[in-house]
Amino acid sequence: MDFAQALQDSTIAQWIGQSGSLFGYPLFLFLHTLGLATIAGLSAGITFRILGIAPTLRLAPMVRLYPVMWIAFAMTVVSGLALLMADATTKLAQPVFYVKLLFVGLGVVTMQLMRNRVFADPQVDERPFTSTARTLAVMSLLFWMGATIAGRLIAYLV
Amino acid sequence: MPTLSHVHLLLNHVPTVGTAIAIALLIVSFVRQSDELKRVALEAFFVIALLTIPAYTSGLAAQIQIQDLPGVSTVLIEAHEDAALWSFIFMQLTGGFAWYALWKRRRTGGQARTSMVAIVLLSALTMAMTARTANLGGEIRHPEIAAAAGEAVLAQEVAESEAQLDTDPPFLSANQIGLFLTDRVWVWPAFESLHFIGMWLIFGIVLIANLRLLGWMKTWSFPDVHRLLPWAALGFAVNTITGMVFLTASPGMYADNPSFLWKIGFLMIAGLSLLYTTAFEGPWWVGSGQNAPVRVKAVAATAILSWIGVMYFGRMLPFIGNAF
Repeated sequence: MDFAQALQDSTIAQWIGQSGSLFGYPLFLFLHTLGLATIAGLSAGITFRILGIAPTLRLAPMVRLYPVMWIAFAMTVVSGLALLMADATTKLAQPVFYVKLLFVGLGVVTMQLMRNRVFADPQVDERPFTSTARTLAVMSLLFWMGATIAGRLIAYLV
Repeated sequence: MPTLSHVHLLLNHVPTVGTAIAIALLIVSFVRQSDELKRVALEAFFVIALLTIPAYTSGLAAQIQIQDLPGVSTVLIEAHEDAALWSFIFMQLTGGFAWYALWKRRRTGGQARTSMVAIVLLSALTMAMTARTANLGGEIRHPEIAAAAGEAVLAQEVAESEAQLDTDPPFLSANQIGLFLTDRVWVWPAFESLHFIGMWLIFGIVLIANLRLLGWMKTWSFPDVHRLLPWAALGFAVNTITGMVFLTASPGMYADNPSFLWKIGFLMIAGLSLLYTTAFEGPWWVGSGQNAPVRVKAVAATAILSWIGVMYFGRMLPFIGNAF
């Protein structure tokens, strides 16, 4: 774990973790949470729509949520890296940390697959959703739940 | 800087007086057969349930501040707390049904009869419970007796009040909730996970609905988006339950925590904005392709920002305050 140690000993990681400033660890933690709430929450909205909630609501305009979700994703990655640096030796040694990364990866891939397979169809609102669309919708919800639970457990399964 | 104890003094009559007023409004609405009054009564139930959140949580802070004072009985405080817990649960159920009835009436223009029956029954029970809670709360401190008659009489008065209490262990008490969480290692992280999932459920739906009002996805008419709102309400319910469990199990982390005060403050604004989005005319009449009026946009922006405020101060509980 020499790499983790070096990361954690770097000046910036020391500042994030040890400065006690509200602009250090606490700010990154908040940005990480806000990013999660945005990407998982908006994905949940898309999922509900595909699963038949709000049947009169056209799905196609929801494509406008994608830039917001990507910005939120970038924010969680940057803030997540900052949080990781501050505590690298612990987190990189926790199996549940990698479980979380796996869920996040699956969540993001599912999100993009939905864009390619569901939103790309110009007729999407003219016919019933395909079973692929519904499967992706359910997966998306489950993956974000998994990421959230694994993320919470990082603080407990030390 | 006001503390949560001040908040308790400010709000502790809201559940009793408020419920009485809302029930009176509901009765008048039946007598006059006024749909408009019925809506006002339902809105009142929702707002009172919302205000009961700080009324209840601030009581935990008041308890920590006064429990070691002379002449203050912990037995009486705990009786008040357990009564308050029940009042809180029934108040939130009433508020939840009121929200649902408002949502349904907005959509269908109908009466939401089942919900109305539930609200009538629940509000009557809530009234009885809050009255009992208020009564027990009033027993806790008697400065006027202490001033007039001295310590001995005060001690006797406290003993008499304690003797009148029902000594059977309550079916559900704050202590039991505390033990449930602290005795099992998995419960706290499980509830936290639920609290986080509830959080993104609320935020995602609130964001979609209010971004529409701000002019995104403009081909949607608002009534179509309105159909998604119960999912935000579900998140709200999950987080009220899990949040209350954290608080009841570990009141010391929140009692004097300025971050918690801010979180609850933003939650009140967020809750009111949800009521506006659900029940008011302004957003409802925003049709496909139309721009929302400025006041509706202002509320939409407030809704999003206040939920961000709730999340910020929730996250800051250990940093600005002293949680964990």
